[in-house]
Amino acid sequence: MIEKALDTLWLEERKAAALIKQPMRGILGIILAFAFFMGLWWVFMDPRGILRWYTPQYGYMYIRWLLIVAIWQAYIFNFWPFRPNWMEKTHPLKKGLILVTMNFAITGLLIWVFYYGIFGTFAVPYFSWFELRKTGLSDFFAREYSSLAILMMAAIASWLSPIWPSAFENYPWHKLTQPAKGFTVFAVTFLLTTYIYFIFMHPHYRVLFYPWQEFTAAFPWWYESFHTLSGNFNVGWIMCATVSVWLMETIFERYPFCLVKSQPWRGIAGFFCILLLAFILFFTFVFLQDAVWGPSVEGAKRLMAPDWRYLHTGELAVILLAIALALYFYFDNWPRRFSTEVNILVRVAVTIIGAFALHWLYYQYSHMLLGTQSGYSHPQQFPMAPVILFINVMLYHNWFMDGWPGKRIKQE
Amino acid sequence: MDNDFSRRSFVKGMAVGTLAGYFATAGLSSTVFKNALLPEEKLNLTDIGQIKGLKIKVISETSWYDNNVFLNDVKKAGGLLVNQYEIPWTREGVKAGYQGDNLGGFATYIEAELLDGKVMKILLDTGWNHHWMEKRFNEEGVAEKLAKKEIDFMVSSHEHIDHFFGIQATTKYNPDIPIYVPKGFYQEGFDLLKGKSFPKANVKNDHPHKGKVTVLDSKQVNVLYPGIALMTFDVPIILRVFGEQAFVFNVKDKGIVLVTGCCHQGIISYMEAVRKNIAGGDKIYAVQGGLHISPFEDWDPQYDDLIMAFHKYGVQKIGCNHCTGFITAEKMLKAGLPVVKGTARHMSKRDIYLGNGDELVIA
Ligand SMILES: [Fe+2]
Ligand SMILES: [Fe+2]
Repeated sequence: MIEKALDTLWLEERKAAALIKQPMRGILGIILAFAFFMGLWWVFMDPRGILRWYTPQYGYMYIRWLLIVAIWQAYIFNFWPFRPNWMEKTHPLKKGLILVTMNFAITGLLIWVFYYGIFGTFAVPYFSWFELRKTGLSDFFAREYSSLAILMMAAIASWLSPIWPSAFENYPWHKLTQPAKGFTVFAVTFLLTTYIYFIFMHPHYRVLFYPWQEFTAAFPWWYESFHTLSGNFNVGWIMCATVSVWLMETIFERYPFCLVKSQPWRGIAGFFCILLLAFILFFTFVFLQDAVWGPSVEGAKRLMAPDWRYLHTGELAVILLAIALALYFYFDNWPRRFSTEVNILVRVAVTIIGAFALHWLYYQYSHMLLGTQSGYSHPQQFPMAPVILFINVMLYHNWFMDGWPGKRIKQE
Repeated sequence: MDNDFSRRSFVKGMAVGTLAGYFATAGLSSTVFKNALLPEEKLNLTDIGQIKGLKIKVISETSWYDNNVFLNDVKKAGGLLVNQYEIPWTREGVKAGYQGDNLGGFATYIEAELLDGKVMKILLDTGWNHHWMEKRFNEEGVAEKLAKKEIDFMVSSHEHIDHFFGIQATTKYNPDIPIYVPKGFYQEGFDLLKGKSFPKANVKNDHPHKGKVTVLDSKQVNVLYPGIALMTFDVPIILRVFGEQAFVFNVKDKGIVLVTGCCHQGIISYMEAVRKNIAGGDKIYAVQGGLHISPFEDWDPQYDDLIMAFHKYGVQKIGCNHCTGFITAEKMLKAGLPVVKGTARHMSKRDIYLGNGDELVIA
């Protein structure tokens, strides 16, 4: 029994009983998640708050990696070293406290030991705050630049890490047990992330430093077609891809690629479905922005800047995702009573309407809550930071705490 | 069997999806579709009139003297989004500073000769450290002109520390001077103008302003005199500032001259706005002032986009300084852009661009 549970995704196996009726359960869940988010934001991020890490890049970096570490914990390591038994019997509050602490600790270790201590010190200096500072860069920008690099890698990791458990069902390592499976999938996705980083993001750093680092990084190869040297072009579409993974995993119920029954074809189909959806999102968002603000202008700043427009596709996609996840986690992926296709269509419609509403609310009121500034485009403000932190909290609440107190695992 | 069937329906689904996706993405990104779907660009041109000539003198473009000291103040306070009135700015013990004070400031003095021969005298911004600013005002004769009420008005480009916190350097000599501020000024800014002090930020105003304050917004081009206009931009800026405005002069036989404080709206965005909103805006003769590109000698690949696109606008004189940054100036020169050289006097560090006491004359 335990062996079987270790082999499948615990999140799919667990049976949580609803303790409160809908829609009250959903509304209560969202209120709780939002309150916890606001607390975290105030303590760690808010420019008026306590630690003020949203400088902006430094705090933004942590937020992005917290997300990936949560994916590792729940999807790749299947909560190892904790046993399914423990996951079922432990009170959600205690579980949440332990797993969130672990989430924070692993993120801290990753940044301080792996990036600053190893990768930045012995391989690529721009990944380390301290190595960059040694080059004569100001302490502040040494930290901002290294944070940007680390968070750009996070963008890729957030796209690739969940693909293996979700689309490939961990094939061809599905027969391994934990922690061997976790470590294998982690190593493979992290390696891929690093390779892809060097193709899509590293060229950004040829241009970021003065003089251009011609011997160590390729020229931003997307410049001719997309009119910017900035890696924000890749951050934009890769964030659309990250969002696609989770749209597929939640409101699409892995449809249509779930129709393919055998691996690795299913995984390959899934990968391309995700990519296709990502490009549809990306180009639709680029087009919508062109329609509203007029075509972007090369060399312009803010609203009119090509690189900001690309970044904003990612921001719009993440807003979409926040709604989809809220629907999935808090409203039981409503509706479920029609055929799969109809269910998905209704969810997509609800998500789009919800995203418009959240978009409006965000740009109308968020600056007062978050201590940031109003306006669509601020070169030092990234709406993805607060929205991803909110998503993290939803994951903590639903993955680590079973959606308690709205839901609770059935004790057998 | 079951496997086969679902695989076939999957392939069918994917084929339809891919085709639809392909047409959607290819269509949306192709220029053909864009031309058909996007509304045509609307020009809304205002004729602002003309002036005969223009003299632009840099009073101070050195806003702070030690970048690292400045950035450490920012870092300690919590980064680039923290409210500037809440940051304890270092004012003592800085070797590179003016009498140990890290703060300088930004101010430009402008004389614009109208077609009827009348010369309008304008002060753009009022710096940060009032000791330094008073010294510079006296050295350049601005203090005297202020005291004699010869300077017609002051324009505050935006509320930033280095452009506005030194307000008492101006009001000391003329508390009645009319001031134009952009929409987005905070209550703190108006309070400082009226004499409130902000001990946390090490800033005060011992000479309350008593003249008229006009807030200009972005709804229209604000023509102040024939040939002299201000454009306001609703832009959120670092250190919790909002809104910036900049000058548009239309000089007879030369063309449009843009004079900026920091240009947080972006110089290309600004030139585009001028092209779309001002008659003759497609011919920009000169640009003067801070271009906010690499103020901390920091960088972003997007700034290279800017430098690579700049030549398309055919600007003949780039009299940049201040928050343009030295790296930017070096890259601009390398790209063949006409950056006007300065003389590196009065604590301006390099002659690569216009420094304190340097003048750009357009006539
Ligand atoms: Fe400035
Ligand atoms: Fe400024």
